[in-house]
Amino acid sequence: MSRLCRLLGLMMVAGALLLAGCSPRSNLRSDPNAEIRFWNGFTGPDGATMEKIVKQFERETGIRVKMQIIPWGTYYDKLVLSLAYGDAPDVFICHANRIAEFARYGVFRPLDDLIAADRGFRVDDILPNIWQAGQYDGKQVGLPLDCHPQGLYYNLKLFREAGIVDAQGNPKPPETWDEFLETARKLTVDKDGDGRPDQWGFAFTWLRTNWITFISQHGGSILSEDLRRAALNQPPAVRATQQMCDIIFQHRVAPKPEGFDSWMGFRQGRVAMAIEGIYMLSSVEEQKGLEYAGAPVPSFGPKRAVWGGSHMLCMPKGISPQRAEQVWRFIRYLSDHSLDWAEGGQVPVRRSLLNEPRFRRMRVQHAFAKQLPYVVFEPASHKSTEIMPFYDAAIEAALLGIRTPQDALNEAARRIQQVLDRP
Amino acid sequence: MKALSLPAQKRHEALVGYLFIAPYLVLFVAFVLVPVVWGYFISLHNWHVLGDQKPFVGFANYRALLRDDLFGIALLNTGYFALLTVIPGNVVSLLLALGLNARIRAENVYKAVFYLPVILSVAVVAIIWRWMYSTEFGLLNYYLKLLWQMFNLPGEFQPVPWLNSPQSAMPSLALMSIWWGAGGNMLIYLAGLRGIPEEYYEAARIDGASTWGRFWHITLPLLRPSLLFCLVMSLIGSSQVFGQSYILTGGGPHYSTLTVVLYMYQTGFSLYRMGYACAVAYVMFVIVLGFTLLQFRLLSARGEE
Amino acid sequence: MRISFVRVILYLLMTVGALLFLMPVAWMLVMSILPESEIFQPVPHWIPQEPTLQNFRELFKRAEEAPVMRWFWNSLFVAGTGTFTYLLLSSMAAYAFSRLDFPGRNVLFFVVLSTLIIPGQVTIIPVFLILQKLHWFNTYYALIVPGLAGAFGVFLLRQFFLTIPREMEEAALIDGCGRAGIYWRIILPLSKPALATLAIFSFLGGWNDFMLPLIATNEIEMRTLPVGLTIFLGRYSMQYGLVMATAVIATLPVLVMFLLFQRHIIRGVVLTGLKG
Repeated sequence: MSRLCRLLGLMMVAGALLLAGCSPRSNLRSDPNAEIRFWNGFTGPDGATMEKIVKQFERETGIRVKMQIIPWGTYYDKLVLSLAYGDAPDVFICHANRIAEFARYGVFRPLDDLIAADRGFRVDDILPNIWQAGQYDGKQVGLPLDCHPQGLYYNLKLFREAGIVDAQGNPKPPETWDEFLETARKLTVDKDGDGRPDQWGFAFTWLRTNWITFISQHGGSILSEDLRRAALNQPPAVRATQQMCDIIFQHRVAPKPEGFDSWMGFRQGRVAMAIEGIYMLSSVEEQKGLEYAGAPVPSFGPKRAVWGGSHMLCMPKGISPQRAEQVWRFIRYLSDHSLDWAEGGQVPVRRSLLNEPRFRRMRVQHAFAKQLPYVVFEPASHKSTEIMPFYDAAIEAALLGIRTPQDALNEAARRIQQVLDRP
Repeated sequence: MKALSLPAQKRHEALVGYLFIAPYLVLFVAFVLVPVVWGYFISLHNWHVLGDQKPFVGFANYRALLRDDLFGIALLNTGYFALLTVIPGNVVSLLLALGLNARIRAENVYKAVFYLPVILSVAVVAIIWRWMYSTEFGLLNYYLKLLWQMFNLPGEFQPVPWLNSPQSAMPSLALMSIWWGAGGNMLIYLAGLRGIPEEYYEAARIDGASTWGRFWHITLPLLRPSLLFCLVMSLIGSSQVFGQSYILTGGGPHYSTLTVVLYMYQTGFSLYRMGYACAVAYVMFVIVLGFTLLQFRLLSARGEE
Repeated sequence: MRISFVRVILYLLMTVGALLFLMPVAWMLVMSILPESEIFQPVPHWIPQEPTLQNFRELFKRAEEAPVMRWFWNSLFVAGTGTFTYLLLSSMAAYAFSRLDFPGRNVLFFVVLSTLIIPGQVTIIPVFLILQKLHWFNTYYALIVPGLAGAFGVFLLRQFFLTIPREMEEAALIDGCGRAGIYWRIILPLSKPALATLAIFSFLGGWNDFMLPLIATNEIEMRTLPVGLTIFLGRYSMQYGLVMATAVIATLPVLVMFLLFQRHIIRGVVLTGLKG
């Protein structure tokens, strides 16, 4: 019998060990003296910039902040689980295009009362189109820290070599479709005469965002205005996609986006122009020997538009009132100091800062910032993330020449509609 | 120990019995039984992990599956993968087993070599083969090119795009999976072959049967139980293919390697639509169940012969 | 003469086959000691000109972003502890199912047995949600405990226990040995071959498992080697020497085990129909 008892004892120890792992973790701590937990995905040089601002905030206010940087690749997975099962941070970054997806499930603590109570904070200082991207269902759930629009990066040396300069001899970026085409033609060079260009005038980098810029300029969109119908197979979007294909197949001034690392090509001077986000600035800055500049994206279609994203500062639902006030101070501080943040390759969204001489000196940021009034985000649908793979696939198929733009977009539209129709 | 009365002894034995199964049973209930039932329950709900409410929707998820393009593609792809692996894979296993059964020297070395890939993790397999399949630097294209030149085939050798084209991606995953798994079935076939009495072959030889005739009329029929077992197990295994496409292709290019389990994973763990993902899982379960019942039937049919 | 010609062909085919089967694994081993300059070559360097352990050394330097040694330890701990516990729990249950009489035994066994046909992926979502509810996500419990519930061990051991003659137990019972004593002193020692087989496959299964660690953890420190490898693949797709070195680390323990227990494993496959 004693052996049985020993065995039972062993089992109980094992059971106790198992249960020890079960102790529930506390969710949002209400201790006002505890540090603010801040999650973001700034793994690059922007992380160091943010770190500096956070340190400064701690010194000035005495409130401690614990910043956790999680690579964007796994960031949202961790965020979703922390919001769903506890352990959520007190303040976190959410991209503008994912606000609706999260807000639909009510995971945010709306900021309206905090904004109203803060008399020093002027809402009208923030660009309205970007301010609105932080809203869902009439509530302000995110405060835009910045905006990261696309812009035209161009290689100064290659422009000069090809004689594309203005009256003062400065390289001149294209502004219209015709200028763009002419410039790209001049910059596409086959040096060794093997029939394959060694230098390309242009290259598509991130297909999805490049495409959104193109279709928006033609007046197209991914979804209808009420976000209920797929619109990407309508004539404007098809026309824009065709134009992108023409750049590759008809005018032959850009490589097929296959087996060619376009952005690396730009960095290494094998591509003269590329349309990329302002967040790529640090990557060209560190490229030795590259002379570059930034300009607004040329007009490919009748409308002015350019794809952009924005980092929104958000709070989780269930945060205690005192804590929320502390966090608001922090959010407000970050917004007030978004010029420091801009140094790391971002564009502030406060009008008062955009005109500061210090911002003018950030040349690329300043050039890209001119486009802020007509920045286009991905559709503010809560299914935005879910429908992404469908148009990604369509764009790829079209630009590789596997399908015609109309066919590829029809297929994507059909699948997107299925997703939209689902409750 | 005091002598116990019979009922007391019985009671004591029952108590000890429960104590012995209790630890396992707790885990079994928590991680097998409850998940099976709960999974079905979840599949009847609109279950997003962030949702406060998880509304009951009846069979709506299953109905949506019927109209879901991607699910159809995933089913077809999985069937295609099964087609590409089950028969060819078993042919390879059987051939290897036949070779091993021919009383060769160093049999154990050969056996170990053919079985070796089976002990690798799918992640290791995928990493090795990603390099094998590299269009530019991969060993496969390199040796294919050598062969091409050796036999003076016409024209210039065009590198095979393996994982990079919608046409060749799934066959590439299948080839890799055959390499990975052939050794397991090989051992089972070998045991089956060893179980065939030598006298049968002797008798056939006296009757003047050819090698082929002996294989066709003696080996194959007597190997039927092993064949059935391996074929159905491969079928069940290949209908659950996940790691290969998850690691190597992510379902691409252009959905060509999107499989049912990968689709379930993406729906459940990227979009967090747990209800829908559970519905996918249950449809897969029903399919696998069908194969299992088929196996039982085939095996019992053999018993009646 | 004809016979020996056939045999030459046979040996030729088998050897070519064996080389083809070995090639990928051998190439992994070679690549892990190639310097980067020799990796991207039009002609594969089967014999490295300058073999180097640089890739392995580099791995330790990157412990922060890719803690390979931590993953190694996780895998070892999870597979080791899991195997031990699995053997203990399964053999206890199998003993009860094969030797002790209690109400509901047959029904219970039938239920346990019938779950063998359920593919693991079917339950992966509820298991994930249960792990969340238990707050086990990102803990060793999450990596180990769900694997202990598999019915295969109980089934295999029960079959084996049934083949052990009862006489010895009856003698022991008369000698005053309790049920637990019989289980521990008689049944388990007599079942060493079956336990060893189960232990090997359970360890291999735990070491190589991919799906459970993928969904049960998301902290980089809590990953196991197979899942860690895929993180590596995404991040260092151009530094293949590093990736291959990690793959070698993930392979060596099972390779050693395979070489040591080859006979056991091969017999086990035939015995159980498991393929490793």
